[in-house]
Amino acid sequence: MATFVIRRLIASFFVFLAATYLMYILTALSGDPLEELRLSASPNKESLIEARINLLNLDVPPYLRYFIWLAGVGGCFIGRCDLGVNIQGQPVTVLLGQALGQTLQLVTTAAILAIIIGIVIGIVTALRQYSGFDYGVTFTTFLFFSLPIFWVAVLLKQYVAIGFNDFLQEPTIPPLVIGVLAVLAGLFWMALIGGAIRRKVIVFAIAAVVTAGVLVYMDLTRWFENPSLGPVVVILSAVGAAYGVTAISTGLKNKRALYSSLTVAGVGVLFYLFLKPFVFYAMTLPLYLGLAVGALVIGGLIGWLWGGPDRWQSVRTAAIVALLIGVVISIDEHMRWFSAYAGSSRVGNRPIATIGAETPNLGGNFWIQGVDTFTHVLLPTLALILISIASYTRYTRSSMLEVLNQDYIRTARAKGLTERTVVVRHAFRNAMIPIATIVAFDIGSIVGGAVITERVFGWTGMGQLFVNGLDHIDPNPVMAFFLVTGTLAIIFNLIADLVYAALDPRIRLS
Amino acid sequence: MRISRFAAAGAAIAAGALVLSGCSAPEADSGLDEGTSVGIAWNQAFYSANGNTSFGNATANNNINYLIYGTFNYYNNTPELVQDTSFGTYELVSEDPQVVEYTLNEDVEWSDGTPIDAADLLLSWAALSQALDDEGFDPSQFQNPDTGEFTEDYPTDTVFFDTGTQLSLVSELPEVGDDGRSITLTYDNPYVDWELVFGTTGTILPAHVVAKDALGIEDPEEGKQAILDAIQENDREALASVSNSWNTIFNFTELPEDEDLLVSSGPYQISEFVADQYITLTANENYTGDRQPNIEEVTIRFIGDPLAAVQALENGEVDVISPQATTDVVAGLEEIEGVEILTGLEGTYEHIDLQFDQSRNPGVFSDQRVREAFLKTIPRQEIVDTLIQPIIGDEALVRNSQLIVPGAEGYDEIVEANGSDAYAEVDIEGATALLAEAGVTNPEVCILYASNNPRRVNEFSLIQASAAEAGFNVTDCGSEDWGGLLGTAGAYDASLFGWQSTGLGVTDSGPNFETGGINNLNFYSNPEIDELYDQLYQEFDPEAQLELQMQIDEILWSDAYGVTIFQFPSVTGVRDTLEGVDPSIIAPTIFWNVWDWELSE
Repeated sequence: MATFVIRRLIASFFVFLAATYLMYILTALSGDPLEELRLSASPNKESLIEARINLLNLDVPPYLRYFIWLAGVGGCFIGRCDLGVNIQGQPVTVLLGQALGQTLQLVTTAAILAIIIGIVIGIVTALRQYSGFDYGVTFTTFLFFSLPIFWVAVLLKQYVAIGFNDFLQEPTIPPLVIGVLAVLAGLFWMALIGGAIRRKVIVFAIAAVVTAGVLVYMDLTRWFENPSLGPVVVILSAVGAAYGVTAISTGLKNKRALYSSLTVAGVGVLFYLFLKPFVFYAMTLPLYLGLAVGALVIGGLIGWLWGGPDRWQSVRTAAIVALLIGVVISIDEHMRWFSAYAGSSRVGNRPIATIGAETPNLGGNFWIQGVDTFTHVLLPTLALILISIASYTRYTRSSMLEVLNQDYIRTARAKGLTERTVVVRHAFRNAMIPIATIVAFDIGSIVGGAVITERVFGWTGMGQLFVNGLDHIDPNPVMAFFLVTGTLAIIFNLIADLVYAALDPRIRLS
Repeated sequence: MRISRFAAAGAAIAAGALVLSGCSAPEADSGLDEGTSVGIAWNQAFYSANGNTSFGNATANNNINYLIYGTFNYYNNTPELVQDTSFGTYELVSEDPQVVEYTLNEDVEWSDGTPIDAADLLLSWAALSQALDDEGFDPSQFQNPDTGEFTEDYPTDTVFFDTGTQLSLVSELPEVGDDGRSITLTYDNPYVDWELVFGTTGTILPAHVVAKDALGIEDPEEGKQAILDAIQENDREALASVSNSWNTIFNFTELPEDEDLLVSSGPYQISEFVADQYITLTANENYTGDRQPNIEEVTIRFIGDPLAAVQALENGEVDVISPQATTDVVAGLEEIEGVEILTGLEGTYEHIDLQFDQSRNPGVFSDQRVREAFLKTIPRQEIVDTLIQPIIGDEALVRNSQLIVPGAEGYDEIVEANGSDAYAEVDIEGATALLAEAGVTNPEVCILYASNNPRRVNEFSLIQASAAEAGFNVTDCGSEDWGGLLGTAGAYDASLFGWQSTGLGVTDSGPNFETGGINNLNFYSNPEIDELYDQLYQEFDPEAQLELQMQIDEILWSDAYGVTIFQFPSVTGVRDTLEGVDPSIIAPTIFWNVWDWELSE
């Protein structure tokens, strides 16, 4: 195993070295870095050109200039990283730090959500193979998959941001829209839950009526102007989370797990109703993260106390429930601050942003900052999720179907295991093995994969570093981009292989 | 048993919670900043408050430096040079030897309350003239930075100001006035554009801030004195450190920790700066000059994508945008309610130059008649109508002078007299006749242009089609690497590209047309022109300057040097609650009168 890793790393190093050389030469030869200066009529043109030649060593031919760059990079091994300067003379190491930060902020949520949603949809479509739901989801995901992201981005800005903000000026939902949404929701749940005709009709009716009811309620109470979940929804979600998580995690027959979950739900609701204002009063990020960890620990503790012979099942279930309830309460609190945020002079009742990472000079407490980040990350995240969800869905679906057709699944069913046990314990886990490698590989590529999204949404991340470098025939930033994305690709490729070997005992690395 | 114990614990918690809820819950503070700001979108991030260094010399910096530093003069949108007498005055004391005296007003102060005085002016001279620099010092050896623009190996004992301006013509140490508010510059050789080299956009930086960083002197007055001493006594050690500070400390890409670096002398000062996102300027309370701003706070947001800027305007995130002008941008802006579209021109102009020597097809343009014939076939009006008018409508115009920017003083007179009207319309018959007269049939003309620029590709096709009617065989020398090919012997016969005017200096055009000038890329040489430029370089009287420029322009057109085609279009979208936005054709375009902007609500 160690020899495998070392051999892979050494081989990758030399391949990467050759790739950087090629990349450098291609960038440097792609145009004339002095073009804009040549066209200037400014009196000090000559000295400007000379300064730039000196700054970027343009008097050295590219195939040798590469080694100047390489020497600077070599400095990284002795703690003196020097990635050169860009065409404006700014040190690339500084630019790289800023760019990397922005990109991670932008793509992390999108990547995680895309993975989770993609896998869930993939599993459901596999379980409902060849149903209307399956076809509908396949059609939709492929539709988005094939759309160019800059176009999706422009549409999102026009309808989700500008359109929604316009709607907020007078937030009444026309009856026709309510009707259409209700029918759509009915169709969605009907397709998702499936079953015989009678069951379908009932599901459709319930879903449509509930959706219409919620929309009418929102309309009448002008919910969009002052949104919140309120105690009723929080309590319902707490209880729902307790039952839902238990059903998937251990099955409802495991009474101890169910009771732990319900206890956690009860504690969560009590916290929400009575303690929250005191704890949330002066929220900071460390406290927030501390509360998240605290929720996990308390949940686990409750599960452990309910215990029983297989107490780790209860611990796991209760901890997940605690975290989910925490998320719901956190969302509720953010929503409570939404109207203060939207109504502030800096935002001017147009909360959903189309550009940038934050509202300039907003100020605001922890919650308001959170809302601000949400309104800015929303559109790019949606765009990234929409186009990347299809591949996860398809991989999961096919992997899941393959596993479900295996003999041991038939055996498991034959010996009388519940459908939950078969799906979650026997099928799901094995179906995840190939997905785990895909996910590992994708994480390596997300840093470099948002070039267009960044540009359209005005984030100056890794993609912009790359594109601006190319535009100005400026190899140093391009190489910095390449260095980071290339290294990540190599490392995560290696991780993907190791993970595969670790998960699947049939694979051996040597 | 166990269950009842849990129930008891639960009951205890519930009881405790009930007791707590009896206390009134504290009301959290939203912490919101309830100010308002006018948002301007710009396509590049600010990165240096010193626009005089070769490092910091970029539009993105100069726009903002223009608002935060006081200057003796600036360009308005006519465009013409306007003196700001509320900052200081200057006077041409004598023409030969050329002596200029600059005097600051008594009450002008930096935003931290330190007076602006001769120390600031003298430092500015020392930097821009590079007169005190070590000779033969090559900074390139030390320019691979780790932390800043220069490496740690950068010699601390070397004086080098990283700049390059025409103020190098003042190598003699200026005299400081007794009042401590004036300096007198003596030029080595007369320089008629002297008004543009000292005290314009962002040149005067706070000497006391430089002193604090370079010499470690906290007290502003002492710091100023130390700078004066160092320059006047030519203290090499101190100057080395001063030059190093001047080169580097004003470069920052986010709000610096040291607030002194934000000291301003203009109508605004930097109050917030988030890397790659936005920079906020707040009115400078210590500013007493004429450019008093109406708007308290201005935020420049960095938005690279033109259509993203349009949607940001629609969504209310910015109030003014001035992206690269395309038909897409105009179409997008037209659909937005409550937004005014200002169309106009910008500093770059498109033109076609003919190679007088070293052309690809040897000697094709050595005959005056062939040059004239070719220029007569260039469909200038058609190019403007098909490529520029769709963007800015009636503002689109054919530029008719090689020397003067449309709208600037003298443009109309010069156009009337320079003979450009001979090329106003396509004249195929005239061209054919001239070719016949010259005895040339189907001459081949290869045009160099940017083949990756769609607009230029279109222009090329229009020219090609039109010239073919007169018998010219126009071939394609277009290249993506056209900038590097400019001026290369034997590479092309005519070139189609744009010159960017950065100011209104009368001498700026010299290098384009003089024999051997740095921008003379078509091997044009006319002793008459050289002679006229020599005269122009000595002429201080504006009217006589204009007279000389007219003569030069006329000769250029009668020599069939080439033709100017159009001024680049500019499009600005402004929310209609904001009044007073009126972009200038030259830098700093929309920013030239930010202090006059007003919110109508």
